[in-house]
Amino acid sequence: MESLVRLSFYCFAAATIAFVASAACYLAYAIGRVRLRQTALATSAGTTLVAHEASLEPAPLGIGRFATLLAWFGVAFQAASILFRTLAGGRLPLSNMYEFSCTFVLLAGVVYLLFERWYGVRQLGAIVLPLVVGMCAYIWLLPADLREVNALIPALQNRPLMTVHVSMAILAYATFAVAFAAAVLFLVANRWQVAWLPSPDLLDDLGYRAVTIGFPAMAMVLILGSVWAYRAWGTYWQWDPKETAALFTWLIYGVYLHTRSLRGWRGSRSAVILLVAFAAVVFTYFGNYVFGGLHAYGGV
Amino acid sequence: MTHASVQQRATQPRALPEIVVDRVWRFFCSVRAAVVEIAILAVLVLAGTLRGSSVPQSIADILPITAPVIDGWYAWDVFRSLPFAGILTLLAVAIAVCTINRAPGIWQAIAHPSVSTTHGFLRNAETSAVFAARIPPHAFAGQLETALRSKSYRVLSEERNGEIHLYADRWRFSRLATFPFHLALIMILAGGIVGATWGFRENEFYIPEGSVRELGHGTGLDVRLDDFSEVYREDGTALAYRSDITVMRDGQPIESGSMTVNNPLTFGNIVFYQSGFGQAVALKIEDSAGQVLFDDALPLGPFQSKLNPDAPAARMDLLPAGVALSVVAPDEDPANAPQLDTLQLRLGEMLFMIRPLGGESPITEPVGATVRQGDSIKLGDLSLTFVRERRFSVLQVASNPGIPLFIAASVLLVGGLAVTFYFPHRRVRGIVSTTNDGSLARLAPIARRDWSARRVFEGLVIEIGRQLGASSELHINEPASSATGSGQSVRPSF
Repeated sequence: MESLVRLSFYCFAAATIAFVASAACYLAYAIGRVRLRQTALATSAGTTLVAHEASLEPAPLGIGRFATLLAWFGVAFQAASILFRTLAGGRLPLSNMYEFSCTFVLLAGVVYLLFERWYGVRQLGAIVLPLVVGMCAYIWLLPADLREVNALIPALQNRPLMTVHVSMAILAYATFAVAFAAAVLFLVANRWQVAWLPSPDLLDDLGYRAVTIGFPAMAMVLILGSVWAYRAWGTYWQWDPKETAALFTWLIYGVYLHTRSLRGWRGSRSAVILLVAFAAVVFTYFGNYVFGGLHAYGGV
Repeated sequence: MTHASVQQRATQPRALPEIVVDRVWRFFCSVRAAVVEIAILAVLVLAGTLRGSSVPQSIADILPITAPVIDGWYAWDVFRSLPFAGILTLLAVAIAVCTINRAPGIWQAIAHPSVSTTHGFLRNAETSAVFAARIPPHAFAGQLETALRSKSYRVLSEERNGEIHLYADRWRFSRLATFPFHLALIMILAGGIVGATWGFRENEFYIPEGSVRELGHGTGLDVRLDDFSEVYREDGTALAYRSDITVMRDGQPIESGSMTVNNPLTFGNIVFYQSGFGQAVALKIEDSAGQVLFDDALPLGPFQSKLNPDAPAARMDLLPAGVALSVVAPDEDPANAPQLDTLQLRLGEMLFMIRPLGGESPITEPVGATVRQGDSIKLGDLSLTFVRERRFSVLQVASNPGIPLFIAASVLLVGGLAVTFYFPHRRVRGIVSTTNDGSLARLAPIARRDWSARRVFEGLVIEIGRQLGASSELHINEPASSATGSGQSVRPSF
């Protein structure tokens, strides 16, 4: 078992390297390249004037393709990491912040790459991949003893519900990360009119599509969490801080959907709501550090 | 000579109740109000969530001036407060009223949509398609209808001023999915009210091994804990906590069963959950006349003794004897704060102490002694026997008739969301006109600032063009330039 755990960690290390390289390429691809032009003018006095002009141009397509390839490498390594840890523990790694974050990194990568393929938008990676790298850094900073595979405490011994409930949470967070990236890119594209960025309409739609996956997934998190709470604690709603933080997040995305569908909000206003909503996701994700309550065992 | 007269319609002033009802109705139907209500609910949920954290205290530490507000925040039980109940009620009523209000319009759009459109709508649409054919308009419209129907679109048509207007849509019934979704939200609230009104919940139901406790809540049931066991893995971590209980009525066993964490025991509509466990002490207490005052087990744990706050302890009032009994067990973790342990009890020993209770107590000062398991001792007039150590189990017992409502609501909620998001109502309008050499059809989707709908329409246009073999072109108006009418034409390759 120890060798599998070690192998899993080595794969995670390899995934981190691939994601860092991929994020750098995506950033270079999205920002473009600076081209310096030098113009020499001969004057009637016989002197030469030299003028320098800098302009931003689209990055070569190759760097974007390379970024995608590296991201797929990262996903493959992270999938292997999760597989080895699953084999070591006999269950999906979802029981503490180390395992939860490792699985989140995998799903965020997969969800992003699927959206990249569906919409043909590589520039989104310049936001999502740095987020993934940030999560990798967070995992590296967690106490080393969390890397060990521990047996489940009695409260968590409901594998079907734990697997579906926690996986849904990770899926929701991953799609919300993509929606957040679309919102950020929308605001950039809308503000600076960068020619090689995707059209604002497309980004607006992409963010909405991501939320149409994340919002039902978050609803499933709340429902399955309630079902589990009913089996384990005897009540389907306890007003536990983690529960209510998830409800808060779901409500904000509910506001986003209602303003969009019933009041026709699009564009900047919707994008700003997505930014606020993602702040709620971060608050819910890392809430274990400041909350007590019944989800405390899921903390670090 | 033509005479024109304007006849002013007689309008009666509306009565005050009618005006009030109308305004209240419009308030509940207002999307803006609903969004504000959801936002207020979200803020209250955030306030309640942070109340369970150290965040408010951190704010008070950084800004001491906020300390009184922070104290009030910690003291305010948001989720049981009037504002929270009020906003939930407001939202529930708004959902109900808004749903009723929207129902006729949605049904109209599903069953009887308006077919006719205008050239202006088609010309200014962000995306439109033009098809030309050398056949009469009726025949061309028929071909278009067949092509649209082959893609699962319902097609309605009507003739106006020599032109044929088309309306096609797909997944129209998905518009109804908003009703189960919003109904589910009301049902969840209703489930909570039903559970709180007609159910009961016992969070800390203590039973020592071998003891019988009355369940109460009008059930007429008693519960006996037959056995409690803890199972540990080789590495010392807990694997399972298990209680074996017997449910009794009038002293007669009805049903026996076991429960562990995550595997509750259901008896009728009552569910028993494993919640906790601890140490208990089996005692027998007799008065000076030999009358047995207590012969049962007492759970240790809920009470803290000043003699050793770390140790499991219990307190019990013996009213007939006019004394209160305290029991303190040995410290389970002697390494933790050893300076607090003034008793230094060894395994198998416990401290028993009686204190005066009420004005007619036979003792004036506390009397206590350390007793070994199996020994008896005299405390004042009382004879006390420390029979043995036992375990006790803490159960949660709940009966919640709102659960079926919650389950049904969950299905409706997820189903409603899935249909709304993944089967959106797609609509296309069009006009088929006569031209010099045949017919011209212009189609456009109802998809303002909807990139996905435009993409679906573009796919549909390519498919229609392939089926008809007619010359066609796709016209895309960029949103910013649509006002000027400029756009770009794309000739799809079929």
